[in-house]
Amino acid sequence: MKPAPTLSSAFLHPVGHSLPEPLVALRKQRGTALVDMPLPTRKTENWKYSSKFLKLTDEMANALPADGKTGSSLAVPGYKVAFLNGVMIPEASEYPDLDGITIQSFDDLSDDEAAELADRLDSTLDNNAVQMARLNSARFEDGLLIRLSPDAVLDQPLFIVHEVTADASGSAFPRIYVDAGRHSQITLVEEYISSGSEPVMVNTVSEFTLADGANVTSIRLNMEGENVQHIGATGVRQQRSSRFESHCVGFGGPLRRHDLQVRLEGEGAECKLNGVVVTQGKQHYDNHTTIEHIAAHCNSEETYRNIAADQSHAIFNGRIHIHQDAQKSNADMNNKNLLLSNGAEIDTKPELEIYADDVKCAHGATIGQLDEASLFYLVSRGIARREANVLLTMAFINELVEQIPVAAVRETAQTRLNQFFDQTFEEA
Amino acid sequence: MLSIKNLHASVEDKEILKGINLEIKAGEVHAIMGPNGSGKSTLSQVLAGNEAFEVTSGEITLNGENLLDLETEERAREGIFLAFQYPVEIPGVSNLQFLRTAVNAMRTHRGEPEMNAAEFMKLAKEVSKQVDLDPAFLKRGVNEGFSGGEKKRNEIMQALLLQPKLAILDETDSGLDIDALQVVSNGVNALRAEDRAILMVTHYQRLLNHIVPDYVHVLAGGKIVKSGGRELALELEERGYGWLGIKDEETADSSANGSGN
Repeated sequence: MKPAPTLSSAFLHPVGHSLPEPLVALRKQRGTALVDMPLPTRKTENWKYSSKFLKLTDEMANALPADGKTGSSLAVPGYKVAFLNGVMIPEASEYPDLDGITIQSFDDLSDDEAAELADRLDSTLDNNAVQMARLNSARFEDGLLIRLSPDAVLDQPLFIVHEVTADASGSAFPRIYVDAGRHSQITLVEEYISSGSEPVMVNTVSEFTLADGANVTSIRLNMEGENVQHIGATGVRQQRSSRFESHCVGFGGPLRRHDLQVRLEGEGAECKLNGVVVTQGKQHYDNHTTIEHIAAHCNSEETYRNIAADQSHAIFNGRIHIHQDAQKSNADMNNKNLLLSNGAEIDTKPELEIYADDVKCAHGATIGQLDEASLFYLVSRGIARREANVLLTMAFINELVEQIPVAAVRETAQTRLNQFFDQTFEEA
Repeated sequence: MLSIKNLHASVEDKEILKGINLEIKAGEVHAIMGPNGSGKSTLSQVLAGNEAFEVTSGEITLNGENLLDLETEERAREGIFLAFQYPVEIPGVSNLQFLRTAVNAMRTHRGEPEMNAAEFMKLAKEVSKQVDLDPAFLKRGVNEGFSGGEKKRNEIMQALLLQPKLAILDETDSGLDIDALQVVSNGVNALRAEDRAILMVTHYQRLLNHIVPDYVHVLAGGKIVKSGGRELALELEERGYGWLGIKDEETADSSANGSGN
């Protein structure tokens, strides 16, 4: 048997960007472990549809410049932190000093703080299942640490805008760690955008730890260009009675991959995971989610919708694992898919593994096209066919878009959706 | 206004309409009755332009214009309105959004300015009262979770909003209790006008007590086999279809007929 390919040496040389010593040490240690890491191939179950789109050429190992102008779409209301090619840009960031809340770039941490963080990085993700997160751990150049003291409440959403400038090939490795203390509360928006047109990779890891009763809303908006491979991972660990809400809205690219792993470790914890994916052209989008029900009395609710037009391909793989002691778990997973063309493909796979005997667990997955009877009904009222298509496609995801609790995100998503409709549905 | 000549139509290569001839003038109300499977619903769907039905020969003109050349939405803008026998539920599209989009499509076609949300809301509330629908329905998904009667009232509400030239009512009375029938009938009677024609397709005579037609036609085996005045409906009620030499084929054609609904 041919051995699985491994990373080329270009990805293994040390990263130049300086950071506090404990983080440099961590990076180095993770880098050493990359040497034998087998890369995903089509025989790797969780990458079988996507491995062929993963382009890890030597050029991709180049660092992208960490200075330069950030784009204009950063004009968002509220608090914001700007990252350019994985490095925080303080002069483009704006947030007040807040009681009980610290927002710091990794670069700004003291050695003690960095040592504490280094101990905790990678603790939320199962790195065997999320191979590519390991590359980030070896190569991140900067990152954002957000710490909320007990009872601290962030009064407005915090926008973290990750821009990648693709004027030359290379990669960026954005990293976020959110430590939400007891009964703290935060709404966080991660927006991923790009400029330039050379092929680049964005490899992200975002980690969230929620102490008892913490309440975190995470919104993720994938808006990068057609030249950007995006391979992201989000790991979440939840203690007793905490609540995590995730809203992912993503538009396709040559490769978009997001792994979302949630561990419900304390009784009464609950998570709600919503996702909307829209693909067109030859785009490819792959969502893998895992919910680990570890403690009893936890709730999870997951709703993902994929819309695929033209020859694009969308994948949803949703795993729910209910551990033996997780009695009275309540898990509900729903994935609906809409194919807008005969050439589009959607693959969906619910995976349920249940070891407790007193649980409620529901799952459903459907794949369909726009309903002819509904279309006929709309056009029979004089509504143009294009408009009817838009109404029905929007109806498919409306419920999820409306649930996004930040108006600016809904508007940004709607603007991008309107572009998609213009490109997908012809004028009569 | 509407002229149908020797209309033949098929669904999945099965001929349902086998030579329909019908003339309807502005201001008239016509009723088409007939047993199940006679082609009543097919005729409604063909008039509205449902592509599941293929017109194999014959012609349909509306005020002299060839209807068969027009897409469904163009027919609607020219004034054809079909009240569906089974209105479709469309969760995720609010009734209000649907109705306003439709009304504005018509207004744009007529060269009138679009109505803004506030103007339309006012109009929609008035019309919903006319068919006794709680304005709260406007915020729900199109027909979503509506009872049968509510769906039918929503159809009539749409007719009142869109002010068609020809309103085709496909079994609008089916499934209605007597109160709802009264509301729906009042709505339809409010539509009667000198410049508008109404074509009612119905299985039962009951509706015709509330909406009195000028002409009644009996459709059987894909053809109009008898036409007359209002008294024909009463005679059918009394004597059934047998005296016309028609068997009420409860099952024979109903699957093909039902597929278009």
